[in-house]
Amino acid sequence: MNRRALLLAFAFAASLGLGLSLPLPGHADPLLVSKAVDMRRAMDDVALAAANHDLVLVKVQPIDTALAKRGFDNPHMRLLFIGSESAVRWAEAAEPRLLNLLPLRLTLIERDGGVTLMSDDFGPWLQEFPEPPAHLMVEAWQAEMKAMLDDFVAQ
Amino acid sequence: MKHYIAHFLLFLFAAVIGPSQWAQAAEPEPMILTTTASGIGIDAAVAALNQAIVNHNYTFVRQQAMDSRLVPYAQEVRSVRLVYFCNFTKMDRALRLDPRATQVLPCRVTLVETPTGVDLIAVNPAWVTQNMPGLHADCQEMKRDYLAILEEAAL
Repeated sequence: MNRRALLLAFAFAASLGLGLSLPLPGHADPLLVSKAVDMRRAMDDVALAAANHDLVLVKVQPIDTALAKRGFDNPHMRLLFIGSESAVRWAEAAEPRLLNLLPLRLTLIERDGGVTLMSDDFGPWLQEFPEPPAHLMVEAWQAEMKAMLDDFVAQ
Repeated sequence: MKHYIAHFLLFLFAAVIGPSQWAQAAEPEPMILTTTASGIGIDAAVAALNQAIVNHNYTFVRQQAMDSRLVPYAQEVRSVRLVYFCNFTKMDRALRLDPRATQVLPCRVTLVETPTGVDLIAVNPAWVTQNMPGLHADCQEMKRDYLAILEEAAL
């Protein structure tokens, strides 16, 4: 009996150890790029990069000024929402739950004389939708976002 | 002796995994929070949602059609609406904890008009932050706020 308990304990421990060594569900990092410009220039470059990829700047959410004017510290961050009509129509037709990811969000973070541009983390969405067509759509949006961010750096 | 070894191994792995990851593995968060406001149109649902937002100490930020700015205004699909809202104190705290908090900011509910009413849908912030330990507790609180707002709006 004691030997059986020991074996079970080892099996349990081994399975947990294996679990720890694998990525957690939905684990991935957001896409990040940086360059040495100020916020205003970064906004212009994002708009240009978006246009180069047939994406539309839907909305700028200036959370820096919104917080500062309410007496909070300025976080030096802005949110940008970008999208395309085709993405909306594809999501409506193929997987309406993906509409919750649209328009795609970008965060501009101004720090130390430069601006970092950060996308949302697509990892959890890819995990949540492992089958096509939804999975392929999220992959396509992720690739489009990456290309756009690379373009932003190159401006 | 073997009995003690077995208990020691179990203890060791429980300590290594930690309570938060254990709970995370045990109770995966749903991606979507949803409710239905039956027997009303989308304008009435937006009004009810806005009232619920205010009642729960959040501030209305904006509303837009799903395809706003992606198509001419006259061609926007009116049956799918996005409502954004925020609690600036919570936003300030979340951004101090982790800049990736922007992935759940500002709060958003998607309203979809159906033949029988309006579906109110939100991405669960606790799902988004499952792999962001510093934000997860705050986002579980935010999830509770979402549920309360959705429930009140659907009454």
